[in-house]
Amino acid sequence: MVSDMLRAQVDELAARVNGEVEEHLGELELTVHYPDAIETLTSVKNFSEVPCDFLHDLCGMDLEDHLEVVYQLSSLRGPQRLRIIARVERDNPVIDSATSIWRGADFLEREAFDMFGIQFKGHPNLKRIYLWDDFEGYPMRKDYVVESHEQRAIMRVRKEGE
Amino acid sequence: MTIEGTQEYSINMGPQHPSTHGVFRMVVHLDGEVVIKVEPKIGYLHRGLEKIAESRTYAQFVPYTDRLDYLAGSHNSLGYVQAVEQLMGIEVPERAEYLRVIFAELGRIASHLVMIASGSLDICGWTPWSYCFRDRERILDLFEMTAGNRMTPNYFRIGGVSHDVPDEFMPALKSFLDDMPEMLEEYQGIFFGNEIVQSRMKSVGILPKELAENLLITGANLRASGVQYDVRKAEPYSIYDRFDFNIPVLYGCDTYDRHMIRLLEIQESSKILRQALRDIPEGSVMAKVPKVIKPPVGKVYHRVENPKGEMGWYIVSNGTTKPARVRIRAGAFVNVQMLPAIIAGWKIQDLVTIFASMDLVLGEVDK
Repeated sequence: MVSDMLRAQVDELAARVNGEVEEHLGELELTVHYPDAIETLTSVKNFSEVPCDFLHDLCGMDLEDHLEVVYQLSSLRGPQRLRIIARVERDNPVIDSATSIWRGADFLEREAFDMFGIQFKGHPNLKRIYLWDDFEGYPMRKDYVVESHEQRAIMRVRKEGE
Repeated sequence: MTIEGTQEYSINMGPQHPSTHGVFRMVVHLDGEVVIKVEPKIGYLHRGLEKIAESRTYAQFVPYTDRLDYLAGSHNSLGYVQAVEQLMGIEVPERAEYLRVIFAELGRIASHLVMIASGSLDICGWTPWSYCFRDRERILDLFEMTAGNRMTPNYFRIGGVSHDVPDEFMPALKSFLDDMPEMLEEYQGIFFGNEIVQSRMKSVGILPKELAENLLITGANLRASGVQYDVRKAEPYSIYDRFDFNIPVLYGCDTYDRHMIRLLEIQESSKILRQALRDIPEGSVMAKVPKVIKPPVGKVYHRVENPKGEMGWYIVSNGTTKPARVRIRAGAFVNVQMLPAIIAGWKIQDLVTIFASMDLVLGEVDK
């Protein structure tokens, strides 16, 4: 259930940042373009009465023609929930970092960078987090080619005398 | 600031160090024995579960979810299967819901027991460790007699649970719950009341409330910093709204309270278990689920309260048998950030206890 209070404020914000509002299974979703992401996040954090001030999750998403950064917001003091999707260009995926609003966005953004190659401007330490530094490519993108089972099986064969 | 004539140095702690509870490596910058900075390095156990999910069907991915937080496998699957059920609009039978809660809460108790045990082991307390593991073994026995597997039961299915529990399960659970007060008393006496534990842990590693919220810390670590928030109450999933239990909260913000809150949560979990045991109805344990699981196009974000923190499942379906995206928001992964934020100024011996109090499991951190 989405409260009217939240809905009204999200609609107002959507008109301001030129976003689209949708509802999926009782969850409100606001889609914006990447230059407006930080303004949107700051605004929802300061909503009156229903502030969505806890960044629950931040992740990347590949939709073939563009990338998305998905922010799942909630609050520790109320039932309100909101999902913000920032569309990012696929060829030049740059977006402002949310670490200035939540320090804890640090690791989440590093993961999105690691897996999708999304550059977060203003991030204090944007390095790969799971994979090693000279890993090539961004594995969670849909066009990343995973080596086949056959190929991996060949690599496992040992030479005689090993 | 180093003393004149000395210099800072950095050492690697882990990934094989026993007090890092798995394959966690940290680069510790030291001035003598005072820690200046810690850089956590993770990814040694990275299996790419999110990527694997995209090449498996919805049902095939369930066993993988158990391997996230392998100390409480059931709760991870609970989040996943419920998210898929929400996408498909499946109603789960009553008995299955109760069995799910029983397994999830048993997993929570087992996980918290390991946390207290390893916390004591890190400060050389062998006896509390053996007490906790003795009791955890009984929970693992319950898992084993039902699912055939001790730590990763793989018991939940989309639409229910795989099969009913054996006849001897309920009596065994009941006798475990009957022994619970005595166990808790023992932990109180040997661990929490211990003078060494108190002097090593009290007022060490303070995580203030504002910092915890800003760092997006969730779960018991947040509750030990004075925020009374639990998804089971705030946004009840499964049938948690039927049970009468409290959310313990402590205001000490220190290592000791982060251990203590686990003990209090074990108490609350056993309350839930007792009520579940009393109310569990007879009936089927599996809903009518289509042979081929093909959720309609849509997306869902479902949160559950894992023992290690909040776990979020963001599942995007494109209408085929395989998900377009499965995103795992692991509580422990986000909680790692607490370590570099609060560690400056503590000695290396405190680093060990502070690390233990964060209760990380590397399966969940590394995904």
